Amino acid sequence: MVLQMCLGFVKGDYDKARDLSQEVFIKVWIHLDSFKGISSYKTWIYRITVNTCLQLIRKKKKNVTLPIETIALSFTEESKNDTSEASNRLYKAIGQLNELDRLLIMMVLEGQEYDDIADVLGIQPTNVRVKIHRIKKRLKNILNHE
Amino acid sequence: MSNHFSELESAWKQDKKNIKSSSTALDAVYEKIQTNKKESFFFYYGTIVILTITLLVISSFFYFVAPVEKLLSRIGIGLMLVGLLVRIVIEIVSIVKSKRVHILDSSLETVNNTIAFHTFRKNVHGIVTPIIIAFYTVGFYLITPEFLLYLPVWNVVLYDISYIVIAVVLFIQIRKGVLKEMKIVHETVELKKSLLQEG
Repeated sequence: MVLQMCLGFVKGDYDKARDLSQEVFIKVWIHLDSFKGISSYKTWIYRITVNTCLQLIRKKKKNVTLPIETIALSFTEESKNDTSEASNRLYKAIGQLNELDRLLIMMVLEGQEYDDIADVLGIQPTNVRVKIHRIKKRLKNILNHE
Repeated sequence: MSNHFSELESAWKQDKKNIKSSSTALDAVYEKIQTNKKESFFFYYGTIVILTITLLVISSFFYFVAPVEKLLSRIGIGLMLVGLLVRIVIEIVSIVKSKRVHILDSSLETVNNTIAFHTFRKNVHGIVTPIIIAFYTVGFYLITPEFLLYLPVWNVVLYDISYIVIAVVLFIQIRKGVLKEMKIVHETVELKKSLLQEG
């Protein structure tokens, strides 16, 4: 689940996603003792994943940004030869959202409850609901204009 | 809308099956944990170690090698050492504040702590550090008159000019630091806005 979320966050760039997921696992490992079971272990890991991804935004902006098509192509050729067209379409569509929206919708795709997502982000569940509705609308537009 | 989303959901589930984990990935994680341990020590304590060594070297130099006699020079050395000491304390406070940016907090809390930390860093770079450098500079030039008693004039002039070069380099570095912290604060504030934005 972590690698896939990282993949979605870095627009399908497998190498970056692997590095990012390593960062997440290192943090999980380091903070393992802090897990008190208040939330489910999944929510706990999502929290670390989301925060690690958001911390990456600053680092990432220092790098040259490649066009989404180039990244999607390199992803298909180098990393996952068995990736279907639907899968490419998926990362391409998610990649067009802003960073926060990307993480939000991926948690929905992972089947997380709105309350858990709100807990991870530290915002109201009603706000999560409204945001997700807006993101779904935006995704629909993206998919229609492909 | 639901059709499009169902399509994405099934693509997501399908793709999950394509992602395989391997034992080499675990080895890489373990290796990175070991590297990170070393890197984070230097990241947090590197500056403190360097500043403490500088403080000790300067103190020892003026105590054992070149003990000054004039009051003005002693005040100068005092200003230089106090400046360094304050800088060390700021580094320690900075570590404490940076550790408050906790990965296990909610995103909003993490964002708030990040803003607080980088605002602190921005103030340190923009206000406190220039004051410390001013202390250090005044202290440095207060020693010069006594140096003239023991060293040739050209030596002391060279010594003073070299300090100006260092001051220019420091100014550029500080400016870069302030701009960097301001950029981070700005980006994190934007992130906070999008987190709190209703829809």
